[in-house]
Amino acid sequence: MEELKVIENSDTTVQYIVVRLGEEQYGIDIRYIDNIVRMQKITRVPKVAPYLKGVINLRGEVIPIMSLRLKMFLPEDEITKATRIIILKLEQYGSVGIIVDEVKEVVTLDAEHIEKIAYDSKDDRNNFLSGIGKYEGGLISLLDFNLVMLDRDGAV
Amino acid sequence: MDVSQYLEIFIDESNEHLQNLNTQILNLESDPENMDTINEIFRAAHSLKGMAGTMGYKRMQTLTHDMENVFSEVRNGHIKVSPDMVDILFQCLDALDEYVNNIKESADEGTNDNEPLIQQLNSVLNGKGETQESAAPAAQAKAEPQEADGDGRKWLEIRLDSSQSNVLRAAKEQGKKVYGLTITVQESCILKAARAFLVFKAIEEKAEIIVSSPSAQDVEDEKFDLDFSLIVVSDASLEEVKHAASNVSEIASVLGAEIDLDKMGPRDKYEEKGHEPEQESPAVSAVSAAAPVAPAAAEPAVKPAAEPKAAEKKQTPGKPVVNRTVRVDIEKLDVLMNLVSELIIAKNSLVSASNQVQGQSQGVNEQIEYLENVTTNLHESVMKVRMVPIESVVSKFPRMIRDLSKKLDKKMELYMTGEETELDRTVVDEIGDPLMHLLRNSADHGLESAEIRAQRGKPEVGSIFLDAYQDGNNVVIEVRDDGNGIDVEQVKAKALERGTITPEQAANMSDKEVIDLLFLPSFSTAKKVTDVSGRGVGLDVVKSKIEALSGEVEVKSKLGEGSTWTIRLPLTLAIIQALMVVVGGEKYAISLGSIQTIEDIAPEDIKLVQNKEVIHLRGSVIPLIRLANVLDVESTRSSEEHLVVVIVKKGDRLAGLVIDDMIGQQEIVIKSLGKYIKQCRFISGATILGDGEVALILDANALI
Repeated sequence: MEELKVIENSDTTVQYIVVRLGEEQYGIDIRYIDNIVRMQKITRVPKVAPYLKGVINLRGEVIPIMSLRLKMFLPEDEITKATRIIILKLEQYGSVGIIVDEVKEVVTLDAEHIEKIAYDSKDDRNNFLSGIGKYEGGLISLLDFNLVMLDRDGAV
Repeated sequence: MDVSQYLEIFIDESNEHLQNLNTQILNLESDPENMDTINEIFRAAHSLKGMAGTMGYKRMQTLTHDMENVFSEVRNGHIKVSPDMVDILFQCLDALDEYVNNIKESADEGTNDNEPLIQQLNSVLNGKGETQESAAPAAQAKAEPQEADGDGRKWLEIRLDSSQSNVLRAAKEQGKKVYGLTITVQESCILKAARAFLVFKAIEEKAEIIVSSPSAQDVEDEKFDLDFSLIVVSDASLEEVKHAASNVSEIASVLGAEIDLDKMGPRDKYEEKGHEPEQESPAVSAVSAAAPVAPAAAEPAVKPAAEPKAAEKKQTPGKPVVNRTVRVDIEKLDVLMNLVSELIIAKNSLVSASNQVQGQSQGVNEQIEYLENVTTNLHESVMKVRMVPIESVVSKFPRMIRDLSKKLDKKMELYMTGEETELDRTVVDEIGDPLMHLLRNSADHGLESAEIRAQRGKPEVGSIFLDAYQDGNNVVIEVRDDGNGIDVEQVKAKALERGTITPEQAANMSDKEVIDLLFLPSFSTAKKVTDVSGRGVGLDVVKSKIEALSGEVEVKSKLGEGSTWTIRLPLTLAIIQALMVVVGGEKYAISLGSIQTIEDIAPEDIKLVQNKEVIHLRGSVIPLIRLANVLDVESTRSSEEHLVVVIVKKGDRLAGLVIDDMIGQQEIVIKSLGKYIKQCRFISGATILGDGEVALILDANALI
């Protein structure tokens, strides 16, 4: 019975890891997350988009690292003790690491607590979101990685 | 009947046989009287037939059977080889190839009976007033004389343990009969284990197998020579049991007799007692039931059985050599390769860790050097395992050129060298198509028609050359022809017509740039579209395919004299020796294979030619490439300092890469940058250094 309940729950609820980027909170679907590592030396790769910071070595694998801030047109990352690299495993792109200012907590959101956002083509940052989650009074912007990973530099 | 586990082997071996047939029939065409060739063809066709039969591919079996009949008549001198016949045979090979392809895709041979071909084959046979009967009785006849031959009755050598003989006795008491059988498979049989498996199955329908020598497991693993012996109990008659076994194809003989248990018993006891002194005697050199037939015992028994057969088949000495190879799934090799890669990374970490420890003992250094030696050798061996000669790909080309020659009505000859050149298996699998395109291109566009060749004073028969050789860390494959060469003006006109380039561009283009247009998609200069080439698919496919293998393709051409297409492929894909350099504080690796020398150049030695920096070095002018500029970093050297220049070569071109500093030579494991980064042209990958840092690998070829 325990097991059955869990499966039932997973249909309507999703677990998110809440990260901080500047003053805002973003949620990343936990199913995409492979690993969270501390900031380390990133090897620069020449002639690539500015938001691609380079590559790191994660246990023998070379993994590209992206600055989520630059990708979302926020100011350049300020590396602090709280800065983390979240390694995502995406079907289409393989493993990719993204830099976030801080990893806060894991939350479970019910479908009814997630609001679809009205699409506003003028505000580019909204283009990366799948919805807004309400959690204990605060708002969490839920990232849609199909949109985040898209190379839209040509269009912008 | 479950034969699916043999399917892969079947496909591999069928392809080998087909390739062999293609080659041999080509030989036959030029030398119709050569008995060796005819025998070889007969053998290959025969094996193919047998294999198809075992796997239950009836149509394939029928076709090969009819081909075999033709070869058999040729061999016996009843039919002479004619060009028509060779054509039909080639068509048959194509049909067989189609069967094999169908099988590969769907495990089914398809429904094409190829009736017309079979009729043509039969008319070849009947045209000479010979029937196909002659082969059949001969095959049946050969089992007979061996029946009387006592040497073949190897079941007598089976030793029974007490439980087995009890089973036999019990069966006897129930009125069942006990038979001993020795089954010999044909020498030419390829899937021996599969045959044996079928024999076991067939016998099990009639009888119960009590003992097998070698053991059933060994037989299944093909751990037997040509024959295996069984002791069975059955209600059926001896003939029925023997018939069941001999119905399986490619079985040379089935010997059998009823066993008198009383005779076997004492023999065993006698032998156990007299074990040591009597070991030499063939009559009692029995082998234990579980062990495979010992060579000493097997040899005298096999030879008499094999020799009369060989004589009957008029086989020349070229018997199939026992294959000392193991087929390994390429994925397993990939795993092995990855492990070796990890080992090398671990070794590099150890080296860098030991460099940081001050005042360490001499012993540690020695051991690390030893470890380095071992890992380097291990890497080389694993690489070698993955290497296969390009022969497997290029050997189909002579046949293709022959067909093209007929189709295009041009006389041409293909000369190949360096077929033994080895490349990584994955690369070899991929280069077949590009090479085929280039050869077709040479045959169709390159070589002129006979009249034009005569006007130009060239020999009537056009020559196409395919040369492969190793050059440093690369393998070079050249396709050369003595044909017309590329008409630059014609290419230009075509490009203008298609709007690929503007007239202004055309006026300023160098010949080389014009020739590079040929590699653009949908560009063909053939005046008429043939089914050989000219549809605009081809050269762009060649280019993209070769580049996908991190290789390059180049063309040199002289109008009226011919063209040379040069394909350059990396020898290794995973681990290379590299020079580690520093540019603007960042570490980069450059493959040692492309490095010629390293020079120290004074700033005043740099000259400007057409506004580009060059240096004079031992009589050649070499352009300088400042890596700091290319990589968007600030050089840490001041402009007054001497420059460190790495001279790299690509074919016969040289370039000097200006670096800030050298670290040294290192074995590096090539890793991809990941799917998400669309890496720029001159970065071929990344590698992990001993301290865990990532360094990028510069592709010197792309920089030149």
